[in-house]
Amino acid sequence: MDCMRKKVNEEIKRGWIGSNCECPYHPAHFTHQDCSWCYCPFFPCNDRTFGCEVETKHGPVWDCTDCLFIHRTDVCKFIYEEIDRLGIEDANDTRFKDIFESAKKKYWKKGKALMVVGATSDAGKTVTVTALCRILHDRGYLVAPFKAQNMSLNSKVTLFGEEIALAQDLQAKAAGLKNPDSHMNPILLKPKGDCVSQVIICGKPFKDYDAETYYSEFVDEVGIGIVKEQMEFLKDRYDFVIMEGAGSPAEINIYDKDIANMRAAEIADADVILVINAEFGGSFGYAVGTIKLIPESDRKRIKGIVMNNVRGDPKCFGAGISTLEEITGVPVIGIIPHADVNLPKEDSESLRSSEQGSGPLIGVIKFPHIANFTDLDPLLLENVRIRYIEKPEDFLGVAAIILPGTKNTISDLNWMKEKGIANSVLKFKGRGPILGICGGYQMMGKTLDDSEGLENGEKKVYEGLGLLDNTTRFPSYDKCIRRDQGKLNIGDLGEFTGYELHMGISEVNEKPLFTIEKMFGDPEQEGSVREDEKLYGTYMHGLFDKPSFRRHFVSVMKNDFTENCPAKDYDASVEENIQKLADIFEKNLDMKTIMALLGVNE
Amino acid sequence: MSILFLGTSSGCGKTTVCAMMCRYLHNRGFDVAPFKASNLSLNSVATSDGCEIGMAQAFQALASGIEPDADMNPVLFKPSGDRRMQLMVNGKPCMEVNETAHADHGMLVRTVRDAYSRLESKHDVILCEGSGSPAEINLFATDIANTGLMKSIGVPAVLVCDIDRGGAFAAIYGTWRLIPNELKPKMKGFIINRFRGDIRLLGDSLQSMEELTGMKCLGILRYERLKFPDEDSLIISRGYLSGDDANEAFLLNLDTMISHAEEDGFDFDSLMKYIGLN
Ligand code: SF4
Repeated sequence: MDCMRKKVNEEIKRGWIGSNCECPYHPAHFTHQDCSWCYCPFFPCNDRTFGCEVETKHGPVWDCTDCLFIHRTDVCKFIYEEIDRLGIEDANDTRFKDIFESAKKKYWKKGKALMVVGATSDAGKTVTVTALCRILHDRGYLVAPFKAQNMSLNSKVTLFGEEIALAQDLQAKAAGLKNPDSHMNPILLKPKGDCVSQVIICGKPFKDYDAETYYSEFVDEVGIGIVKEQMEFLKDRYDFVIMEGAGSPAEINIYDKDIANMRAAEIADADVILVINAEFGGSFGYAVGTIKLIPESDRKRIKGIVMNNVRGDPKCFGAGISTLEEITGVPVIGIIPHADVNLPKEDSESLRSSEQGSGPLIGVIKFPHIANFTDLDPLLLENVRIRYIEKPEDFLGVAAIILPGTKNTISDLNWMKEKGIANSVLKFKGRGPILGICGGYQMMGKTLDDSEGLENGEKKVYEGLGLLDNTTRFPSYDKCIRRDQGKLNIGDLGEFTGYELHMGISEVNEKPLFTIEKMFGDPEQEGSVREDEKLYGTYMHGLFDKPSFRRHFVSVMKNDFTENCPAKDYDASVEENIQKLADIFEKNLDMKTIMALLGVNE
Repeated sequence: MSILFLGTSSGCGKTTVCAMMCRYLHNRGFDVAPFKASNLSLNSVATSDGCEIGMAQAFQALASGIEPDADMNPVLFKPSGDRRMQLMVNGKPCMEVNETAHADHGMLVRTVRDAYSRLESKHDVILCEGSGSPAEINLFATDIANTGLMKSIGVPAVLVCDIDRGGAFAAIYGTWRLIPNELKPKMKGFIINRFRGDIRLLGDSLQSMEELTGMKCLGILRYERLKFPDEDSLIISRGYLSGDDANEAFLLNLDTMISHAEEDGFDFDSLMKYIGLN
């Protein structure tokens, strides 16, 4: 205690310092925190709004772990002003008690909660809460994320050895908080299969429940109490609590037992915004149905609709938006364009590659205009794994590369060069098979001649990857549409079937891959192959349907590609993506309404 | 004799459900053909007479035991980026559609109607698939594949919903509610697709949905870990496929799906009745 008083005395003499970025522990609590009172002059304040009493070997001790109040700049400055005004010189001065009371009166207010619910589980609730946490943090507020109940297999361990969902950990980081804790996700359900989940309460394993007993026994007896308690805890310490719902709030079969959505909003007395994923269409139906199926008394809380993940022109919703507002009585407060961000994903459903198993890994370039990707489905008949490649880092470990079809060869070729993917493909050459199909095949050539501007609008000649000695021209708006069958020119010379759908004609200076057999007339040669360099190219869609080529391709894959893959600092990339996401939301969300819902009238 | 499979969103499984029904009727000796008035798709296939149609209809034709035919998908839009699309009409490139160049709505309606009549004269039963969600209130005026098709050929409809994403009840109710009132009597039933979990948890909610909408619940299809050709989504590499020939593997999966549906008490009889088969 004496030692502490000494430190406080030093702080009194030294005066206000603001955020101390020099300190090796900085920031111990949150970004931009005020470090003037590293040792609290109020200790022990014995006020449970900020700290709590814990039992130790040496008896009860006042614990300040969760206190953020003393790190608010306005509070820190106020303390110095009062010290000056009252002429305090020593840490033992009893008048600190009065300063504490007036600081609390002046600067503490119970926090306000706002809830984000989603029409579906993939609505984008997590990213919306993440974005809001960051936007509000950037505006200087203390914000905490909260999800009453999360069902997830992906959890993180907090500084205090508790387990919380990955999403809340991420959101807490977006809010600038250094130590995400279990208050932010007090109930975590970890599915164990067969409808049984392990229930984690405040970060510690509690008990296994099956779905039915969870709803009939746990929810009312234990669950509600926990949500109430943790919500109060956060509201005491933060300006705002941004809550995330779970699944849809309109599941009429479990409505009364659902503590993750509208009941949590009621407990927190929070207004609610409804997020809808527009990517799969049906947004209007989902919005109307969700709002209408929620009982009147709860429906009143819904104050805004956000259309998320909108591809294309937001104007395409046209008059639909005003009709929707009329039917539901809820305004649309944001139309958020699809955001190309890379953040840790919560549920496996959004993982679109198939990397389970032990087979060799095929990297498929995920062109922005990727087309006819069903060509790859039959590869599942072999023991292989597939990964979609969007950046050079994704090449790590691949044993083969496929450049699939695209609806816009030129623009996707440019995209591939800009992203550095073209470079990685060239470096991969010789290590494993590289296959181009249709548009991907055209890219593998030396030149792509669009001097009529038919493929990409601009009249220009483009340089291909140069893997094959071919030239493709786009001389007219004609399209080759035909079905083919015949024999493979390599491997077991087995049969193939397929079809061609392409604009553009290629002048081929390579050994052909297929011999197309015609009902009438001479056979034709198609495609390109360099067996020694493991390069393959063809216009033939459906080429993996029959086993011959498929098996040949898989047999050529052996060594994987582990070098030359730039590794990026993961935390830095997460931080970068959070900021990008927040910027997109801030630009497209009616922040005035959001602030008003949080009780701030700008 | 026909029915239209509508979906509460794209990717809800209407393609697969329609293919399953094609297969079911084909296995029972019916002469059945698939039809999708208008398709927005990146995956397409060439027919034997050099026409291009959506991948999904080719797959459904396979399930029906017939050759793909341009009449099965008379209008096909192929996005090529920057809000540009290639419009294929009757299997051939027609024009580039972009912000300033639109396709003539009257022409598309006529194309669809003509293709449908040709197909109807060739086959006994036509199983239609809608496009995206039928409840896009901003698109009602120009729709040709959902409510537009219901109006132009008077086909009854059932609604397919993916329950795995959550919000299924809201989706069914909201979609139904936004369907124009004069078409609501044609909305015969709904199908819950991709169900996993404890069926007891659904309680009497399905009955409530029937009461709220007047549509009959035709059944709950389980979450299948089977691989089918996916139309629009990039979720290509999930699911089970076995054998040597990809097409045969797909058919095998459809048969498995049918036997699962029968096991789970799927109401094929009511569906047959709505189609007009007794
Ligand atoms: S809880 Fe906060 S205000 Fe109270 S003594 Fe601890 S640090 Fe100071």
